[in-house]
Amino acid sequence: MVLNSLDKMIQLQKNTANIRNICVLAHVDHGKTTLADCLISSNGIISSRLAGKLRYMDSREDEQVRGITMKSSAISLHYAKGEEEYLINLIDSPGHVDFSSEVSTAVRICDGCIIVVDAVEGVCPQTQAVLRQAWLENIRPVLVINKIDRLIVELKFTPQEAYSHLKNILEQINALTGALFTSKVLEERAERETESQVNPNSEQGEQVYDWSTGLEDTDDSHLYFSPDQGNVVFTSAIDGWGFGIEHFAEIYSQKIGIKKEVLLKTLWGDYYINTKAKKIMKVDQAKGKKPLFVQLILENIWSLYDAVLKKDKEKIDKIVTSLGLKIGAREARHSDPKVQINAICSQWLPISQAVLAMVCQKLPSPLDITAERVEKLMCAGSQTFDSLPPETQALKAAFMKCGSEDTAPVIIFVSKMFAVDAKALPQNKQRPLTQEEIAERHERARRRHAEKLAAAQGQAPLEPTQDGSALETSPQGEELKGDEQEVESETPKPVPQEGTDREAFIAFARVFSGVARRGKKIFVLGPKYSPLEFLQRVPLGFSAPLDDLPPVPHMACCTLENLYLLMGRELEDLEKVPPGNVLGIGGLQDFVLKSATLSTLPSCPPFIPLNFEATPIVRVAVEPKHPSEMPQLVRGMKLLNQADPCVQILIQETGEHVLVTAGEVHLQRCLDDLKERFAKIQISVSEPIIPFRETITKPPTVDMVNEEIGKQQKVAVIHQTKEDQNRIPEGIQVYSGGLITMTTPNKLATLSVRAMPLPEEVTQILEENSDVIRSMEQLISSLNEGKNTQMIHQKTQEKIWEFKGKLEQHLTGRKWRNTVDQIWSFGPRKCGPNILVNKSKDFQNSVWTGPDGKASKEASRYRDLGNSIVSGFQLATLSGPMCEEPLMGVCFVLEEWDLSKFEDQTASDKQNQEQSDLVKEGQGEGETCSGRDEHQDLQGGCSEPSEKKASQKGESSLTDCYGPFSGQLIATMKEACRYALQVKPQRLMAAMYTCDIMATSDVLGRVYAVLSKREGRVLQEEMKEGTDMFIIKAVLPVAESFGFADEIRKRTSGLASPQLIFSHWEIIPSDPFWVPTTEEEYLHFGEKADSENQARKYMNAVRKRKGLYVEEKIVEHAEKQRTLSKNK
Amino acid sequence: MSIFTPTNQIRLTNVAVVRMKRAGKRFEIACYKNKVVGWRSGVEKDLDEVLQTHSVFVNVSKGQVAKKEDLISAFGTDDQTEICKQILTKGEVQVSDKERHTQLEQMFRDIATIVADKCVNPETKRPYTVILIERAMKDIHYSVKPNKSTKQQALEVIKQLKEKMKIERAHMRLRFILPVNEGKKLKEKLKPLIKVIESEDYGQQLDIVCLIDPGCFREIDELVKKETKGKGSLEVLSLKDVEEGDEKLE
Repeated sequence: MVLNSLDKMIQLQKNTANIRNICVLAHVDHGKTTLADCLISSNGIISSRLAGKLRYMDSREDEQVRGITMKSSAISLHYAKGEEEYLINLIDSPGHVDFSSEVSTAVRICDGCIIVVDAVEGVCPQTQAVLRQAWLENIRPVLVINKIDRLIVELKFTPQEAYSHLKNILEQINALTGALFTSKVLEERAERETESQVNPNSEQGEQVYDWSTGLEDTDDSHLYFSPDQGNVVFTSAIDGWGFGIEHFAEIYSQKIGIKKEVLLKTLWGDYYINTKAKKIMKVDQAKGKKPLFVQLILENIWSLYDAVLKKDKEKIDKIVTSLGLKIGAREARHSDPKVQINAICSQWLPISQAVLAMVCQKLPSPLDITAERVEKLMCAGSQTFDSLPPETQALKAAFMKCGSEDTAPVIIFVSKMFAVDAKALPQNKQRPLTQEEIAERHERARRRHAEKLAAAQGQAPLEPTQDGSALETSPQGEELKGDEQEVESETPKPVPQEGTDREAFIAFARVFSGVARRGKKIFVLGPKYSPLEFLQRVPLGFSAPLDDLPPVPHMACCTLENLYLLMGRELEDLEKVPPGNVLGIGGLQDFVLKSATLSTLPSCPPFIPLNFEATPIVRVAVEPKHPSEMPQLVRGMKLLNQADPCVQILIQETGEHVLVTAGEVHLQRCLDDLKERFAKIQISVSEPIIPFRETITKPPTVDMVNEEIGKQQKVAVIHQTKEDQNRIPEGIQVYSGGLITMTTPNKLATLSVRAMPLPEEVTQILEENSDVIRSMEQLISSLNEGKNTQMIHQKTQEKIWEFKGKLEQHLTGRKWRNTVDQIWSFGPRKCGPNILVNKSKDFQNSVWTGPDGKASKEASRYRDLGNSIVSGFQLATLSGPMCEEPLMGVCFVLEEWDLSKFEDQTASDKQNQEQSDLVKEGQGEGETCSGRDEHQDLQGGCSEPSEKKASQKGESSLTDCYGPFSGQLIATMKEACRYALQVKPQRLMAAMYTCDIMATSDVLGRVYAVLSKREGRVLQEEMKEGTDMFIIKAVLPVAESFGFADEIRKRTSGLASPQLIFSHWEIIPSDPFWVPTTEEEYLHFGEKADSENQARKYMNAVRKRKGLYVEEKIVEHAEKQRTLSKNK
Repeated sequence: MSIFTPTNQIRLTNVAVVRMKRAGKRFEIACYKNKVVGWRSGVEKDLDEVLQTHSVFVNVSKGQVAKKEDLISAFGTDDQTEICKQILTKGEVQVSDKERHTQLEQMFRDIATIVADKCVNPETKRPYTVILIERAMKDIHYSVKPNKSTKQQALEVIKQLKEKMKIERAHMRLRFILPVNEGKKLKEKLKPLIKVIESEDYGQQLDIVCLIDPGCFREIDELVKKETKGKGSLEVLSLKDVEEGDEKLE
């Protein structure tokens, strides 16, 4: 029995004053969806018997299976109260913490909300969160205390106990509201203070400064929930009843003859009735008097439950007749008491009446939108309302007016996009056929039948006519079937056309002002759009057609294609939507990513971004099961990104597709969506790859047990690993201080390289200035090409000198003297945080020559060979010896290079060549050609040898059995760098997250436990003013962060929520190659000492992943192997 | 001599025999399984974890210990432990199942890492992950050959993977600087080898920036060298043309 036709709804939509946009918010499992069910059943959309069991708003399969709501969805309801008819746009929201982003989307487009609290569980973490969200969005809440029946049936409270329990819950909630209020007032005061500090001059103005806290004189009584204010309702959604005080006040004012107003004030609170005097007195707890609430209300309900549960037929009948109800025979005979209770109560105290009446009375209509909220919505970020352009400020009036005239500007906010199966769209839906269509089909079928008959006759003219008649009857049936099939095949026709995207995206939106009409042109303003920019770009009074506006960033123009009325699982087509309504808009998927503001006026500012309680932090890498399905996955992820307000998708440099979700449940939902809706492929999920860096440090002065190194007696070690760890092959000399000297295989050149750790600040500078370095590199290469040097920007030049100055500032001391001037290159990729310094005598090609503008083109002796050395350095920094990860913060010093032998040889070659007169100017040409290559092909790597061959014929004689000479140089340099690293104490660097955790004081200890278990370090901890929340700042290695968010939530029962942001690289202090060597270390760590070593653990994990050799025993204990052979 | 029956034979379980022939005699030692390779690579340092017993045998399964004279004549010493060490490092060994398994797995990973390093998805210019490559290699049933270098095998794998999925070797970016008169002629010859020409500039010299498949670098290089007689030059601008940095999908 659908009571309200679409027309009725459209009628109601026009009366803005009687619209209520509300959402249901609560902790998970406090009964939001059940309550919504009850309200829906009052409209006859679902049967009242099914209310609470069907969970109509949970349209997804996994929602039904898991029993939790995962998305917010809207439904429009009709409610009549006396004369007035109301349209209620109800939005059901999820309660699980992972989906709090959905709550944000719901809250934004509502004016009021129903906070549901479980009468048994009381205030839970999510209750706090949703209250805060409602508060931040400036929407008015009302309270529903649900599941009162549990107090009776499960906890077996007496009415008196139940009363005090309810009072308790109410107090808790009010305390929360109070805390929110105080923190806001304090914040405002702080803001005012800073403001006054910033511009003390303004104080002379008219403003009078109020130095009191503001707490005392700000009225907050209207904020609190209290039954006598009428903003609290007690319900049991599962049994279908609910009441406000008002309801009973009315009944009893007639019965006992006390004024309704008095009763309203006294029904809740410690008042009791003196029946003799017919007076209401203040109660004294000690006397054991029952408060009115208990006596008049709770006891009645209790006795009803009692009667039904005990199956006391007589009593039930008595109650039923006294209440004047009629119970159907079926319910009365039903053996399950629940059914009876439901039947009785839902008639006696219908929940929808109680809740909807409160909603209509207490919550504002779209017309009553507060100025404060409008300003807040319009001012993104730190902007103040006054700073907006005047055109924009003028819009405020439109907001407040919420006008439905055609002149009123249309402002719509899209809070999220949701995907619907294209089949579910009204235009694609199978609708009942009209008479004409049926007739037409019939005609067609008949014609076809006739044709077939003719054909059959043609084919079998010899058949007796009897068969013909048989034919005539039998195909009739077939034809009918065929017809039906046709109906089916024809209706979904629009679907296959869309083919690739079977999912249609619908924007979940609300009209704030003006009338949204189908076919209207409208601007789509992205979250980063600035009306100021538009006004600057487009001259005032610009009146060209909307299509040829100059392009403004974050703005697009589109047409409203389809408007829908959201009816839970259904959608209804609409022509236009008057202001103040919630609606669905189709056809926006190409314009709107997740949220947007739509407006006919470009001066409209985008609404402030939704504030999400939970930021996405659970990271996983997603891959298709079959590698060939990559494109599907990418497309699916794009769709998912659009359909989910909270998910983030990253494509990393390693090629990984990383999915970042708010929590495990959210992740599961995203994966299900990917698998079944968006990508439709099998996927596999894994931990994302964790990057590391390699570096070296100064040799430690103390060992692992804090004893000074060198003084301890070395134990006769079973493992001499320390020494042969770096197994340095013959032919390489290691001098003191870690100077490595290496000769190329053909013994013509010798290089001496030393590695030194860079000071931390220098590394940081290098990291920050990578773009400066890059531009320097470009400069040099363009110079070498012989292009004009005047192209250098003054600015970049300045930046470069500033950068150099900074380096000089930090590289002081004897060790670093002149280092900065001798920097030859940076690496890896020419701009990384490692330095190559050339300290040989005749070096003049430092990186600074380029910006100096005096890049000399004169052929230096070793120019071309220098390239090879730099290439070697680049390769060495790209993958270190520990686990082939890039280096960081290492300085390689090329102390000496001896190329004299090579020189001799080339010289002799030259002579030979000149004598033979093969190529006359070959040498000279070659010199200049390769000279030009300087610094450009640092990365030329191994390919360079042959290039050199091309340019320098003279070298051809050198390409002996060891390959081209420059190739040898590269390899030698690379190896030398690696060995230079290995003789120094090597360390791994781990990527670190900074982690902000908000936690209440009682779970602080558990937060610390989780942090320390995962090698995290707490940096600071402070209390948020006005609340009992602590803000903890900590650092945590990225490698330990997998599952961190989930663990912390589990351990703190959701009271702490972390946020992770990548911050920096940090050296892991332990030596990955460390083994105990002294007596004390043995005592302390034991022989193997592999339990503690975090660095080794990481290193081996990376090596294993990359297929590098890992020093690990295949079998730990020889004797503990399975000793039976298989064939016995 | 007893009859060889199932009941009286002693099965050697958990024993790996290492043999060595010296001075015309065969010597064997009894070791634990899966430990010999570890000893040779230096991971295992405890000799007792490798050797079942320190005595040197002529035949382990029969339990015949080598004679002292033989040892002295073959090794010049009768220190059994010393001889055991010698045999361990130099003798021939049967690689056991787990050892072989780990070796193959390691090579498999290594190949996958090389492939992932060298190749990109031609659509996105992003590399594939190692895990994905590994899975793809399993899909095409690639079996690792233990006596071929991993690099060689990686190139083979790339060829085979190309038929199954969208994969391509990351292009190399090159710049040619050619003398004008020879340049045009040369360009025609180079064309089949070049994948994409990014820019062309006819100034005093012909300046071409292009992408090539790294496989034909040598060919191109030789061509340029031969045709221009050393006047033209080519530079490698980047070894791998891949997208850098993380990208947020929007």
